[in-house]
Amino acid sequence: MTSIVFGLLLRACVVLTGAALATFALLWHAPGDPALAVALARYRSVVPDAVIDQVRAEAGFDTGFWSAFWAWLGPLLTGDFGQSAVTGRDVWPELVTAMSYTTPVALLALGIGMALALPLALLATKRPGSWLDRFAVALASLGVAIPAFWLGLLLILLFAVQLNWLPAIGARTPAHMILPAMTLGLGVAASLTRIIRSGILEARGQPFLPAFRRRGVSPRDIERNHIAPHAGVPVVTVFGLELAFLLEGLVTVEVIFSRPGLGGFLVGAITARDFPKVQAVVLVTAVIFVTVNLLIDVMYRALDPRIGERDA
Amino acid sequence: MRSVIMLAFCFTALAFLGPVFAPYDPAAIDIPNRLSAPNAQWWLGTDALGRDILSRLLYGARWSLGLAFLISLLGLLIGTIVGLVAALGGKWIDWALMRATDTFLSFPELVASVVIAGVLGASTASLIFALTVTSWMRYARVARGIGLSLQNQGYVIQARLAGLAPLSIARWHYLPSLLPSLTVVWTGMFARAILGISTLGFLGFGVQPPMPEWGTMLLDARIHMRSTPLQMIWPGIAVVVSVLAINLAGDALRDALAKQDTKA
Repeated sequence: MTSIVFGLLLRACVVLTGAALATFALLWHAPGDPALAVALARYRSVVPDAVIDQVRAEAGFDTGFWSAFWAWLGPLLTGDFGQSAVTGRDVWPELVTAMSYTTPVALLALGIGMALALPLALLATKRPGSWLDRFAVALASLGVAIPAFWLGLLLILLFAVQLNWLPAIGARTPAHMILPAMTLGLGVAASLTRIIRSGILEARGQPFLPAFRRRGVSPRDIERNHIAPHAGVPVVTVFGLELAFLLEGLVTVEVIFSRPGLGGFLVGAITARDFPKVQAVVLVTAVIFVTVNLLIDVMYRALDPRIGERDA
Repeated sequence: MRSVIMLAFCFTALAFLGPVFAPYDPAAIDIPNRLSAPNAQWWLGTDALGRDILSRLLYGARWSLGLAFLISLLGLLIGTIVGLVAALGGKWIDWALMRATDTFLSFPELVASVVIAGVLGASTASLIFALTVTSWMRYARVARGIGLSLQNQGYVIQARLAGLAPLSIARWHYLPSLLPSLTVVWTGMFARAILGISTLGFLGFGVQPPMPEWGTMLLDARIHMRSTPLQMIWPGIAVVVSVLAINLAGDALRDALAKQDTKA
């Protein structure tokens, strides 16, 4: 197990270095002179060529791709994300503030998703093929097909504009979290319902269950001790997918609800061509994503020892 | 199964034939009749510039569905090649290509496409690039997995011993076994591409106005949400129904293939 975890960790490091390289390559090849952009943002006026050259030398833009990459990576490893190209302020504190707006919404959405999906999937699998099951499947298929931003707009239209029950724009009070979290939570619920449902159905088809039944183990004990752990394995892995879904959804959902969270931060930084901020969001997201998936991988192997033997 | 395929077929037809049915020029501006409610003349109403929403939706299918089709096919091509090279290329090539695949998967795909399209500048070309480079990884994993499992099949070993070039083995022995699974992955990626195009369009990083792409239409409609909410409903329904149809077609295909497998 230790060697497997070590192997996974090594793999995560390789992948993160690759992600940093890809990010740097993208920004390196972005249209426009990066030194000019930084100089313009810093001095906010027409800048002479000498100043641009100076900025270029300072940032290491003139030394070629690889040396510029290493010069860029060094401070990042010590946790220094540099300063915003537009405001000149440190990126890290602003990023932390943005995350403090995003995290509660993401957790709330995950909670809403679980609270809706679990009962729905359990009800649906009580009698597979019944109208309730079909209804749950149809609802889940619909939920997966709806773009998060459109669902968000519909919820604003219903709860904020028509009914006037909930605030839609901004992040002043905790009530402002409800609509964005609901938007994302419904999407999470849709995909979770599908996966929990098929997990339970697959676990029910396992060949060892009839043996337990014939030995007189009560149906309730079979459900709890044999079906639930089996159905649990795919649910654990799906949290990686849910995290991806949440991060993807947050980009647009925070924009439509005007929340100053990570998604809004990213879109704002891209629009302003504030590359240090873009880099920071991209790398922090990659670290979170890779770490969570690493944990899921380890947990998955612990829950189902057969997996480790198959591909280490 | 049949009805789902029919639905998917209707949508494909819509993308090609939409302009034939469209009652108006999708770019014709008619300011006096702006933000009109649906009526006999404009079945779905008009937008902020007085353009007919129905015509824009029909023309928009070309962008939203046509581009998604193109992007998912490009992803299929790249991913299959990467996966097959990894499966056939030996230990180190396999390791390098799979770590590259992991690297591209180390980030939520849609967030990556938003960053790429945004940084490269909003245009249809960067939209295609951004969505394609983030959409080949699943095909690569599936192609490699099946490729590795075929490696020790009798007929593949025999072909190798007979001196068949790796390229021919890939073409004649791997591809036919890969196609069913890859087609299932492709339907999922096609649906994702539709969602991706509309998301980028909605953020302003995708197909640029005045092109009638569904996500871009939603971006325009959002401003007039309070006065004419219906304008915001139509493009959303178009996205949802097409994604739903393709997903259902994919599910039906997967079930049909699973049934075939148990029969064999």
